[in-house]
Amino acid sequence: MAFLFGRGRTRTNTIDLSKQAKDHVLRLDGPGGLAKAEELAKVLNQMKLALQGMPEYESTPEQVYLLVTGLIEEDLLFLLAQNLHRLPFEARKDTQVIFSYVLRFRLPTASPKTDPVALSYVVNNRPEVLLELCRGYEHKESATPAGTVLREVLKSEAAAAIILYDDGEQPGSSLKGVTAIDRERPQTGNGVFWRFFDWIDKSSFEVAADAFTTFRELLTKHKELVPRYLAVNFELFFEKYNSILVQSNSYVTKRQSIKLLGEILLDRSNYNVMTAYVDRGEHLKICMNLLRSDRKMVQYEGFHVFKVFVANPHKSIAVQKILLMNRDKLLNFLSHFLEDRTDDEQFIDEREFLIKQIKNMPPNPIPPSRQPQAV
Amino acid sequence: MADEAIAGHYQVLEELGRGSFGVVYKGIEKATGEVVAIKHIDLESTDDDIQDIQAEISVLSTCASSYVTQYKASFLRGSKLWIVMEYLGGGSCLDLLKPEPCSFNEPHIAIICRELLRGLEYLHAEGKIHRDIKAANVLLSESGKVKLADFGVAAQLTNIKSQRNTFVGTPFWMAPEVIQQAGYDFKADIWSLGITALEMANGEPPHANLHPMKALFHIPKNPPPRLEGNFSKDFKDFITQCLSKNPERRPSAKELLRHRFIKSSGKIEALQELIERRRTYDATKTKKRSRPFYQETLQDFSPRSEEDEWVFDTVRSVVPRKATVKSRKPSSIFSTEEALRRMDLKDGPLQPSSPAAPTMRKSTVLRQPSGAQMSGNRSTRDPPAPALRRPLQPDMSFGNSGSSQRLFRRVPSDGSNSGRPSSPSPFDDVVDENKHPSAVEVTSKEAILGRRLYSKALDPALAELHAQTSSMAKREALAKLSDAFAALDAVDPEGAYHLFRNLNSTIAQDSKLSNAFLHNQGSVKEPVELEKPQGTVIIKSSNPPPSNLPPSPTKFVLAANNPHLKSHRRRQSAALANGGAASPEKAEKAALQAKYPGRAAQPGMEHCKQLSDVLYSRWVDGLRLRWPGA
Repeated sequence: MAFLFGRGRTRTNTIDLSKQAKDHVLRLDGPGGLAKAEELAKVLNQMKLALQGMPEYESTPEQVYLLVTGLIEEDLLFLLAQNLHRLPFEARKDTQVIFSYVLRFRLPTASPKTDPVALSYVVNNRPEVLLELCRGYEHKESATPAGTVLREVLKSEAAAAIILYDDGEQPGSSLKGVTAIDRERPQTGNGVFWRFFDWIDKSSFEVAADAFTTFRELLTKHKELVPRYLAVNFELFFEKYNSILVQSNSYVTKRQSIKLLGEILLDRSNYNVMTAYVDRGEHLKICMNLLRSDRKMVQYEGFHVFKVFVANPHKSIAVQKILLMNRDKLLNFLSHFLEDRTDDEQFIDEREFLIKQIKNMPPNPIPPSRQPQAV
Repeated sequence: MADEAIAGHYQVLEELGRGSFGVVYKGIEKATGEVVAIKHIDLESTDDDIQDIQAEISVLSTCASSYVTQYKASFLRGSKLWIVMEYLGGGSCLDLLKPEPCSFNEPHIAIICRELLRGLEYLHAEGKIHRDIKAANVLLSESGKVKLADFGVAAQLTNIKSQRNTFVGTPFWMAPEVIQQAGYDFKADIWSLGITALEMANGEPPHANLHPMKALFHIPKNPPPRLEGNFSKDFKDFITQCLSKNPERRPSAKELLRHRFIKSSGKIEALQELIERRRTYDATKTKKRSRPFYQETLQDFSPRSEEDEWVFDTVRSVVPRKATVKSRKPSSIFSTEEALRRMDLKDGPLQPSSPAAPTMRKSTVLRQPSGAQMSGNRSTRDPPAPALRRPLQPDMSFGNSGSSQRLFRRVPSDGSNSGRPSSPSPFDDVVDENKHPSAVEVTSKEAILGRRLYSKALDPALAELHAQTSSMAKREALAKLSDAFAALDAVDPEGAYHLFRNLNSTIAQDSKLSNAFLHNQGSVKEPVELEKPQGTVIIKSSNPPPSNLPPSPTKFVLAANNPHLKSHRRRQSAALANGGAASPEKAEKAALQAKYPGRAAQPGMEHCKQLSDVLYSRWVDGLRLRWPGA
């Protein structure tokens, strides 16, 4: 069980590493916390090397397995996620590597279809680990390492569900594990997922951009989980999305979130969400104002949402009214819209298509032949 | 926003350099007085996913080594991203190579290589590949510390053992396996280090005389370059080891640190000699280059009238009043285009109907009237900019060589210019945040076009050409030209406009020149052609290698560096590299037509057109599927 880290170094027991780390983490608060942080950094570095192996030393699955079980027994994943921002610079990067290895680790005998050991433990028994990783966005120091781990973990649908359905002590919250989730109950908006809106809107560029990348991953990866989630939480989600992200003062947040909105709506799996979205006059108004933004790229991204409203053959009365009310303006506007994108053939074709659609609209709103499916 | 406040923590000083990514300024962190370098990237001018830029920042922000330029912060200001980095006063190795004899001696190279290897050792242990090691990306502090810079293309490997397949770097310094896209790892940096050592010994990398695209085919094909000449055996062996074509046989940074050439190297303080050499060189230069200072660009959006807005009020009549539509001002993005079109029509009579050059020479109308009008107009509106020459003083900055032959007819084509109301004009919207802080306010259409010509075409074209040129003498000459144009732009954008207009019409008259530069515009039909809008051609002719794009009189063809072309170019350069590998002749031809990183050759364009057609029809099909009733 014991093994050497290179020549001449002290023998270190794999399980001891987890115990030592835990001792240090728990004493970060007390007197001499700084010294503890340094010691903890050393232990974490050893742990990383044990997992990763070194050029002259390959790590074996047995050792990794021992380390993984050690981490679980000592509840170290939770403690590290919770204290990530308090670790020294190098230790944060080491922790990121440890998380990536541990949450990915499968026994060589296990089928590649099963969830990795530690990940399955986390989603069933210790969802707080994932929630704490999300809360890494509260601090500049922990945002990047936590975000990197999260994006890797989010490849698992169960992990994504934990984050989406966290709702504190509410019945059916993911806090009791992935199997306890009630997917039909609308969220209160107090869970960790809803914190993302503020992290993206209010943080500094580095944190906001990382949080947004994770947010996008969360909303685009899982084609069954997300459409259902959006259908149940339609009002809450788009209310927040439009008021916080699309109207954000930050250029990057605004531009990226309009783009993501377009991606979400045009994703085939979100068909019902899309039809419900483009049915609302309010949504069209927001979108038309984006076309008039001061920023060209905002106009451009806004166009890709706007086209969905216009291309919809079952436009609601509200949408038809707005389009008709502005028909001449729109036709004039679109004919000059982003004229210097002369190389973007697809854009030019789509713009022509929209002009034709608007031109051919009947002069008075007519009830759509098909009602949108209830979401 | 929180970010806006952070910007106030820094005082931005003079410009240090510019590249395709944006402009780098020197700055001071107000709280500490520390000197920093601040990179400004205008996100609005890029179609690229902002995620790419964020990826660069996350690579930077996880680096903490004294051999790597230290990242400090990044934040947003409007649509501009500011990246604050450690400032290194010694300049880049490329700058230091400029003074005679345009090379470093062996002891200096050994020290630099040792420091670079330490930097690479750090990066590689962190699972990072730099991918663009070259003298230009090696910075020195005033004390002689050597640091790796410019992580624009660096990659982070999540798994140490994994390989990359992306095609990035700068051709002359690229490892063969990177060019062949066979998958590569951190050993690619070692090759580039070897080439950089050759660059420092010889003043330029191997194949520097070739077009960069051509070099791409030589590097994998030829045996690796060797160090020739009066150098020690150790140095030659070091180069040979770095330049093993088989990456497996190339030593790692750690191993190379144990090489005799490196082990016997001296102290970094010795590098101060190089910095001193450069200072002497700068001092002997008669003309001290004045770097423009940073000026805040104020974006002044004209207040929109209510009629401009969409009508959402359902109480109103469904049919909008006609006047509403008419009074709508052109929105900011196409006002210039609008101006261009109008101007070209009205400008017609000004064009000589007979061969242009003689007319020009004979004309005796001074440009003074136009200047006087302009400045008189200006003085009533704003206080003159500080650098401005006195309004009514005859402005001879253009064509003041004393020759009467150079007097141009310069009257505003449109009388309405001088009578412009003092309310914010639609042109104020077009202020380009990236352009040089301007000394002269542009009022005439010619000036606006001239300025646009400079900021959109000339300046980027020159910057790109400069970046691609490795010969010292040529670089200097280009830099001078660039400065001269900058000066012209600052003082007389109108002059730039007329220069290119005339240049263009003269070219059109010489059949050989016009064939080379103006496609499909035979000299035969030039009187007709000249009546047509010339914006396209002007901009194209400012790019030395002629493009193959058919000139379209109605469309404004974008300069090669226009951000909107970027995504195209990326695809095309990939296509170019692939296609080129098959037939070098074809690639050579493409290389001539395409300035690296690759202006599109026509086949590439067609390909993209088809691609977008397919994408579009797929989108339409998708819609049909969703709404079968449509």
